[in-house]
Amino acid sequence: MAKYFDVIIVGAGPAGSLAALKLARAGLNVYLLERGKYPGAKNMFGGLLHNTPVLNEMLPDFPERAPLERHVYKKVLAFMTPTSAVSLSFENENFEQPPYNGYTVFRPAFDSWLAGEAVKAGALLLCDCTAEDIIKKDGQVTGVTVKGREGEMRGNIIIAADGALSFLAKKAGLRQDFKSSDMGVGIKLLLGLNEATINERFHLVRDQGADISFVGMTDGIRGGGFLYTNRESVSVGMVVHLDSLKAAGKAPYEVLNEFLQHPQIRKLIKGAVPLEYSAHLIPEGGFTAMPQLYTDGMMVAGDAAGLCYTNGINLEGINLAMTSGVLAAETAIKAIEAGDFSAKTLSLYKKKLDDSFIMKDMKTFKNAAGMMHLERLFQTYPQVLASIMEKMYRVDGVPRSKLLRLARKEALKEVGLKDLIVDGIRIGRALL
Amino acid sequence: MNIEDLQQLTQFQVDEQPHIIVNKEICKSCDHHACVKACPANCYTFNEETKLLSVVYETCLECGTCYVICDKGALDWSYPRGGYGVCYRLT
Repeated sequence: MAKYFDVIIVGAGPAGSLAALKLARAGLNVYLLERGKYPGAKNMFGGLLHNTPVLNEMLPDFPERAPLERHVYKKVLAFMTPTSAVSLSFENENFEQPPYNGYTVFRPAFDSWLAGEAVKAGALLLCDCTAEDIIKKDGQVTGVTVKGREGEMRGNIIIAADGALSFLAKKAGLRQDFKSSDMGVGIKLLLGLNEATINERFHLVRDQGADISFVGMTDGIRGGGFLYTNRESVSVGMVVHLDSLKAAGKAPYEVLNEFLQHPQIRKLIKGAVPLEYSAHLIPEGGFTAMPQLYTDGMMVAGDAAGLCYTNGINLEGINLAMTSGVLAAETAIKAIEAGDFSAKTLSLYKKKLDDSFIMKDMKTFKNAAGMMHLERLFQTYPQVLASIMEKMYRVDGVPRSKLLRLARKEALKEVGLKDLIVDGIRIGRALL
Repeated sequence: MNIEDLQQLTQFQVDEQPHIIVNKEICKSCDHHACVKACPANCYTFNEETKLLSVVYETCLECGTCYVICDKGALDWSYPRGGYGVCYRLT
């Protein structure tokens, strides 16, 4: 066993494991460090593994071999008030054709499987290892210190894929302190429910899955709820901005409990048995909150690099993570060929990210992070929308207005004209 | 969901070494104790009589919410030693 490694990857999540697979296939000595007992033991997400071209390229038969739950067939966006729900549901036969647009997965199962693929290709996986600090020599990162199995690991290049709270990126001087305005916390309750009941309640057949996003049931806290169907369970939870959570002074699980008590949600999860509760941070600051991506001897990938964005409609991270892991690996291969691990050589990583969909999407929605800080989006507007819908449908002998007049009247009851225009411009800049 | 059931729901490999240490002096004079409410695992308690903040690190989900929202620098927060801490089975 080599004592000195070509590349040390910290974190056997989707970014780290795919980087390890790429490097091992190129015949390099790779060490993959994981702080959990097994890959995925510390990882949690809402539930959706998005379609990711690099995953399809590197493991074309993954749909047959990976532990997947359901492919997502149905997308729903629901605006909620305490007594109503206005939802837009999209079901599409084109989402029935492989490559599927996404799968629900369990992270301990999926991440363990993915890391196992890297191991089969020759990477060395070492679990129970918390990388604590970086080792520098002549200004260049040359290794990490490990807590758990005490010791030092050295290599030519370090890829930090150590998650949303990347202490390694911080210790390498690549980022500032973590800010509550750039972070969300996701909490999730996994609820067991039998397969036939799930299919019936969500109108699904075979291994079709549903992905439902909810806006408006976070008690005024900026954030949203989610529900994903797995084969024999549903993942229900919410994501809230930390600064808004702090200001509200509420416990996140209390907000979740209120959400679970909503009449619409209660019907969906009736009789379900709680199986597991989890929480994780999400880097939601978008493009402007990203750290520097490389320095001498080190690159940062996945959540650690802040590669995640949400615009209220799309919430992507795992696909950006896997792609960034592969791009970091490709850069490492070039650097090792050249025998040069300087920041100048590793800047190729940034160039590759810039040329890929990753940075293009991060830039396209760079104003979305700001839009997601509009307080009114999370309670007032869902309320306005529900009032319009109610007036539209209610039959009570009161003379009707045409739609635009009705919408204007309902909106102005809750929001001033000036605020409406300001919000409209911000939403427009972010999405249109 | 009852947060009191956390230990029945989620698995933990408890280390005898705590990975969160609170600076009780700083916390005494803190004006918000936001960590107490914001922690998704209800790990923090503030005793109004003794003015002491205490943390139950054993059921920490390692999300880092407390660390990020603490604006007093009162938390010495790190990930647990390798192999210890929360251990998700399904999520």
